[in-house]
Formats: sequence, C-alpha cells, structure tokens
Amino acid sequence: MKKKHLSLILLAAFSLVVSSCNKDLEEPLREAYIPAKLDEKGGTWKTYILASSDEVAVAEPKAAGSTEYQAELAKLKTTISTITPENKKAVAYWGAGAVYRWNEIARELAARYNLPPASNAEGKYPVPDAANPLADPKFPFANPPYVSRAIAYLSVAQYDALVAAWNYKYKYNRKAPSKNDATVSTLLPVSDLPSYPSEDAVVAAASYTILAAMFPGEVPLLDAKLAEAKNARIWGGMNVDSDISAGDALGKAVAAKVMGRARTDGMSGANNQTVNAAAIANAKAQGLKSEWLSQEMPARPPMLPNYGTVMPWNFDKATMIAMRPGPPPGLDSDGFKTALDELKKIDKGQTREQARIANYWSDGAGSYTPPGHWHRTAANLCFQNKLSELATARVQALLGTSQMDAAIACWDTKNYYYYPRPQQFGLKTSVGLPNFQSYTSGHSTFSGAAAHVLGSIFPAEAEKMTALAQEASNSRVYGLIHFRFDCTAGLEHGKKIGQAAIARGKADGSGL
Amino acid sequence: MKLLYKLILVLVGGVCINANAQMPHDAIYMNKNSICIAATYSNSQWKEYWENNLKRENFNIGTHTTQSVMPMIAYGITKRLNLLAGVPYVWTKTSAGNLMGQKGIQDLSLFVKYNMVQSESGLSLHGVIGGSVPLTNYVKDFLPMSIGIGSKTLTTRLIAHYKHSSGFYITAHGSYFFRSNIKVDRDAYQADDRVYNTNEVRIPNATDVAARAGYYKKGIQAELFIDKNTCVGGDYIRRNDMPFPTNNMKSTGVGFYGKFQPKNIGFTIMARKVIDGENMGMSTTLSAGFLYQINFKTKSAEAAKN
Repeated sequence: MKKKHLSLILLAAFSLVVSSCNKDLEEPLREAYIPAKLDEKGGTWKTYILASSDEVAVAEPKAAGSTEYQAELAKLKTTISTITPENKKAVAYWGAGAVYRWNEIARELAARYNLPPASNAEGKYPVPDAANPLADPKFPFANPPYVSRAIAYLSVAQYDALVAAWNYKYKYNRKAPSKNDATVSTLLPVSDLPSYPSEDAVVAAASYTILAAMFPGEVPLLDAKLAEAKNARIWGGMNVDSDISAGDALGKAVAAKVMGRARTDGMSGANNQTVNAAAIANAKAQGLKSEWLSQEMPARPPMLPNYGTVMPWNFDKATMIAMRPGPPPGLDSDGFKTALDELKKIDKGQTREQARIANYWSDGAGSYTPPGHWHRTAANLCFQNKLSELATARVQALLGTSQMDAAIACWDTKNYYYYPRPQQFGLKTSVGLPNFQSYTSGHSTFSGAAAHVLGSIFPAEAEKMTALAQEASNSRVYGLIHFRFDCTAGLEHGKKIGQAAIARGKADGSGL
Repeated sequence: MKLLYKLILVLVGGVCINANAQMPHDAIYMNKNSICIAATYSNSQWKEYWENNLKRENFNIGTHTTQSVMPMIAYGITKRLNLLAGVPYVWTKTSAGNLMGQKGIQDLSLFVKYNMVQSESGLSLHGVIGGSVPLTNYVKDFLPMSIGIGSKTLTTRLIAHYKHSSGFYITAHGSYFFRSNIKVDRDAYQADDRVYNTNEVRIPNATDVAARAGYYKKGIQAELFIDKNTCVGGDYIRRNDMPFPTNNMKSTGVGFYGKFQPKNIGFTIMARKVIDGENMGMSTTLSAGFLYQINFKTKSAEAAKN
C-alpha cells in the first residue's frame, strides 16, 4: 500500500516536471506597421554612389485603367485566393520590413562565416579563396572589418536604390493595388506610398546583389530569399507583378553601381602581409619597446593588416590620418603600469558582472561582430520608431558607413602603433583573444561611432546609446584583452568618426 | 611513509563521483536509516577532441583539465529506497593558450533509487528518478572552460541487475535526461546554422546506456564497464569553431570501478577512457573517493556487510 502511494507520487511529480518542460525559444515578434512618415520628398535625398536619383531609368507604368494593369489586378486576386499557410507566414515575416529583414540576413551570414581558418599540417593558415567559397577554409572569414564593409555596401545599396525608387514612386504615383481595386484583399497594412516600383523588390534585389558578392557560397540561400521576398508582396496583395519587376531591375542596377566602388576600394590589398615589417620598424622608430606578436600557436598572421588603406566613406585619407589617436603609453611608463595593474586585478578576481559584460559584448568568432551588433540595435530602433523603408535604409547607411570608416581608421591606428596585447604580459582572457594589435580597441571605435550616429538620429536614445558604447568599451577590459587606454582612445576616436557620418546625414536633404 | 601520507591527503581531500556503497546507477542499497557520506576527487583530461566528428588537437588549448571535488550523501529511507545527493566544486584549466580557467560550485543533484523487483534468483530491477539544478550562476557558454552548461535536469533510469551467490554480477542500465533551456549572457548567438535573437538557449535532452560486470563480496568490489552518452538532437561544432551548449555531445567510454570497504570506512577508485565521441573531448578520467558509513540502527546493520 505504502509502495503504491510512493509510486503514484513519483509518477505525478514526474509528469508535472515533464509537462512543464517547454523548449520553445521566444524571439521578438515583428508585426508590420504603417510608417509614421512616408518621406514623400525622399527622391531628392543625397545618394552615396548614384549621381542623381534618376541615373537608372525606370519606365512609366501602365495606367490604372489600362487593360494591362486590370489584367495584373485580376491575376493578383487569383493568386491571393490560392495562397497557403506557408505563404502567409512568409508575408508576415517580410512584413517586418525589407531593410530590417535583409540586414538581419546579412548578420546571419556574418555569424555563419565568422570563423578563423584552422592551421594545416604545415603549421600555416590557408587563406580563404573567393573562387572556392565552400572549401575549407570557407570564404569569407567574416571578421569585424569584413562585416563592417559588407553591411556598409549593403546599406548604401539599399539606400541609394530606395532614393531612386522614391523618385519614381512620386513621379508616377501608382496607387497600391488595394487602393485601385477595393476587392484586392491584403494581409498587411497599406499606406499611401505609391507602389511602383515596389520598395520591397528594390531592397530585395539590391541586397541580393551585394550579399551574393560578399558571401558567394550562399547564392542558393539568397536566391530563395529573393524569390520569397518578392512573392510575399504578391501573396500579401501589396504589389502587382509590374511593381515587383520594375523594383527588381532598379535594385539590381543600383547595386551593380555600388559594387563598382566595392571592387576598387582597396579591399583586395587589405590582407597584404608584406606591410608588417615596415609597420613594426616604424613603430619601433617611434620608441615602441616590443611589438605585437600573435599569441596563437602556430603564430597566425595579423587580421587584414593593410585594411587601413581601404577607401573610407565620410572623410578622406588625410583627414583620417589627422584624426588618428595619439601614441599609447610607453611600455615602461607609469601609464602602462597602471593599466596593466588594473588588468591583473581583474585576472585575479573577475566578478560575475564583469564576466557578464565581457560575454554580452564579446561578439567574437561565430558572432555577427560588433558592427553586426550595432546594426541590430539600429534595426530595432528604426522598427520601434516606425520609420519608412527609406528612412530605415538611411539610418543603416549612416551607421554602416561609420562602422566601415571605424574599421579602416582603427586598423590604420593598430598597424601604425603595433602595440602588444595584455596576453604578452601573462594575462588570460575570458572571451578569446583577437589576433591583431591592441591599441586602439576596435570594439570601442565601432561603439563610439555607432552611439554617436544612433544618438544623433534618435535623440531620446542618445544617453542610452552612450552608456551602451561605454559598456561595450569596458567589456574589453573586463575580458582582459585590452588596456584601459586602448578603450578610452578608441571610444573618442569612434565618436569623431560618427560625427563625420552625421555631418553627411545633416547635409543629405532629408531634414532628419 | 611520505608517500602514504600523500596518498591519504589525496584521498581525503579529494573525491569524485560515487561513493559508498552506492551510486545512482548501481544496485547497491543502504540500510534503513544508515547514512553514508563520501567525497570524491576527479581529474578528467583531454588533448584530442572531436570537432563535429573530426578528431583533432588544438595547440591553443594543449591539454584541457577538469577537476572536481564532490561531497555526497546517501541515506537509506528503507532497505529498498535510498536517497542520494551531491554537489561538486569544479575547476578547469588548459596547458596552453590563454583561455581563463573557470571554477565554482556546480549543480546540486538529488536521486531516489528504488528496488522495484527482487527475485530469489538474484535478478532485480531498479528505478531511479532524480535531477540536478545549478547552485551558482556560472558562465555557461564559455566552452570548453565553463564548469557546466547550467541546465536543470530530470533523470529517469531503469537498472537491471543479476547477482550470483558467488559475488559475480552483471548490471545494465538506460537513462533519459530531460534538460531545460538555459539563459546565457549574450542576447544573440549562432546555433543550428542560424542566429537566434534571444538569450535563451535550447539544450538537447540526453540518454545514457551502460553495461557493467564485476564482483562484489565482503566489502570488495571490482567492476568493468562500458557506457555511451548521447544527446537527443543538437547541433555540431563547425570547422574550427568553439563548442556550444547546444552541441550534440556523444561519448562512448570504457572503465574500471573498484571499492574497498571492510567496515564503515571505505575507498573507491574509478577510471574511464573515452574511446569514441562527437563534439567533445577524448577524455581520460581518474577519480578516487573516500566514504564513511554511519548506521544509526544497529538492528539493520547487517546490510552493511553486503
């Protein structure tokens, strides 16, 4: 009798625990919204690459009353009547916003490709091969400079293509299908934004072109995303075929022009390892006692040592050199000793809160990197503030160019001073050690720039952004991979880089 | 003499996972109202590991070592129903590279073992229900340095045991581990070949099966075993990536377990070598334990003999 009771109690306890074991993960839901502003004058905003918003021609669409357009509406209604639950899910997913989703896809690819090559049997690190992207090691190694550049071009292409799209939208003023024909049912809220060319198709095609170039091993995935992004606008009753095809052609044409800059921006020489000897000699001539050395076994060549020569967006090279932070403390100075002592103290007794901050901002191998982290923050701010596709792309372009500029200027600084890492003085790390010089901190530079850009665009968030950047900067000290002065200098440097991006934003005609 | 002193220090100071007379996976019970306290020191090392299914070394890790000291307590509620609890203190280090070792109190585990069927022929069946819960907020995703993955677990296990009057026995068991999701310090991470935008991480459930054969009589136990631990699902370490709590970790191990407990005081030793695996280290574990049994009611102390 007693035994029976026990068995029953155990069984009951067991079922309770098992049934309460829910393994579903909660991720933020993103529901489509009507933009707070349509940015009707967006066609006049200053573009980055396009000389003008009508540089790529878009043919005038057929009139609303034309037989061609009426046939398109009829076809649209037939398609809508046959959509599946999967189709509806795709409509809801893309309804979060085209720029929002393509930025997210870029971050996902960044994380997927952010793995350093393994050393081979000869103790060498093979260089990823763009012509053979899926071989080991995969191309690209999506490290922070690479990702900053990939998302900068993505955002610039989206922005330029949308400025062009806005120009034609308000030039031709074709209403949304459901506003031309009340019997067209829609799955998403419909604004008064003219529908030709489709902004979603413009963004999809521009994004596809950039991402296929930056992540050439992912073309099948990108093909599927492109097709779904365009189809979702039909399934949702938001666009007719001609809206989509005009947007697709415009997006591809603008992105091709943007890729023209990418091909000649100096990236092809960024991994030139022959520059190291001269850089070390130069740093030593200025008094550096011992230079940065790879702490990996076997020693790994530094990450993109010539990235500092890539072409920046918001300032010229002379300005960049003038902005370069001053020299770090000498290795025999009190300033150095104080900074090293701070790290030694953390090494002995890292608090859980310090570990948490270091982990939260680690953004290391396998992550979407610090630029990805800030693009995510930006995407969420744009979403919360219900920005139009165009205004969202503008924010991402201002941020993206600032992040690539930050990478260029920071890598220039790192290779100029060639300063050793704390691990060359016996410290461990709780986040993993990046394989390049210490001064200045990349995280701090990216974050200083991002906080200034986002804080300027969203003044209500400025204080929060500054605090986040400070925490990101501190995280590198808490993780023991940067000296305090690396971080302080990086944060200040980043702010200046952000100011350059915002100066451009203030002059782009948006009035924002 | 000096050596003996050192040995005693190691045994007393240390410990490991199984003490007394009994463990959550054997068919040995404490008598009603007896208590066994134990402490086990374990040392687990690997130099090679499986990155997905690629066996490799890592010069930036060298040899990875996990050590633990685990105090345990076992209590005989009845002769056929025992309770076991333990809490390890764990610390990790590497012989090369610059990854910071982690240390701390890990998870409290609690098991109830019940002798469901006991036949005269020597055949018996046992059920175990238990679980574990992290006692501290250690870092969970700094693998391979983290001291644990921080999941709450619920374990169910069935043990079949046959013991011949000569003292020879065979045991087989199978278990299922329900493992809860965990929260990590970051709010986005890569797993299952995608990025999750949340700080919650899905931990795969797990199973283990084992077969044991040995001899146990008059306070002496010697046993050989083979076991296999497998996650139910999970993802795989990517090329040259670090491990992550979502990984489908698998290992097959062989080992020896021995116990000497002439009276109330006893000693245990255990050795296990991983011979095959995926997404984890090819580890060799050695442990040594010390145990002390207290029988409150001498009436039922007979069981201590066996």
